[in-house]
Amino acid sequence: MGGDDEKRGGGRGFGRKKVCRFCAEKNASVDFKDQATLKYFVTERGKIIPRRISGNCAKHQREVATAIKRARGIALLPYNAVVG
Amino acid sequence: MAETQAAKRLREYETIFLVKPDLTDDNVDKLKERVRGIVSREGGKVLRFTVWGKKKTLFPVAKQPRAIYVHASYLGGSGLVAEIERNLKNLDEVTRYISVKLADEVDPETRPVLEDLKLAGDVEETRPGAPEPREGGGFRGDVAEESVGEAEEESSEEA
Repeated sequence: MGGDDEKRGGGRGFGRKKVCRFCAEKNASVDFKDQATLKYFVTERGKIIPRRISGNCAKHQREVATAIKRARGIALLPYNAVVG
Repeated sequence: MAETQAAKRLREYETIFLVKPDLTDDNVDKLKERVRGIVSREGGKVLRFTVWGKKKTLFPVAKQPRAIYVHASYLGGSGLVAEIERNLKNLDEVTRYISVKLADEVDPETRPVLEDLKLAGDVEETRPGAPEPREGGGFRGDVAEESVGEAEEESSEEA
């Protein structure tokens, strides 16, 4: 369980409150062209991060999921990134 | 919707298409003009063309690691999108395209025609792991893995 200790030491504690970042910021919108923001909702492998982990609300998670799928279509995000 | 209203109210769309990276600026301009011609022929209005430049794609597109991205934003009807996509499909230089509706019922008078933009493109943009090389290739780093572990622990505690 040394791994757990490392996680805690990494500065992301358990008490972190999850807030939908698109709800928190009024003028933030989901945009499939915004590669930098969408990367935050995708794993290293290119999978969409579930809502229970990303903290998005249902509405924005739907939008994020659609945006990621669109971004994949124009190669801004990978369908499947090879992890070495 | 009434037919009379459809005449003056248009929908706003955007289309992004990927062009083969070996095309010159002149050829890209030619493509732009072709799309512009279609939009005006079908009674639409071009708001802005943005050439994003040559960008690295996350996976090979048409066996090329890079592509030139062109973004067009315009007003028009549904037939216009179909016509543009039909044309893009027929062009060999265009490898991918996507069209998205941005808004319904836009009054063309209220939207100004913006001048075309040209971005430099970011050849080395998709290298977040460049400053500190990670072993995993570093697409998003190890943050995802970490939070997955956390959430599972949390849920088991709740149960």
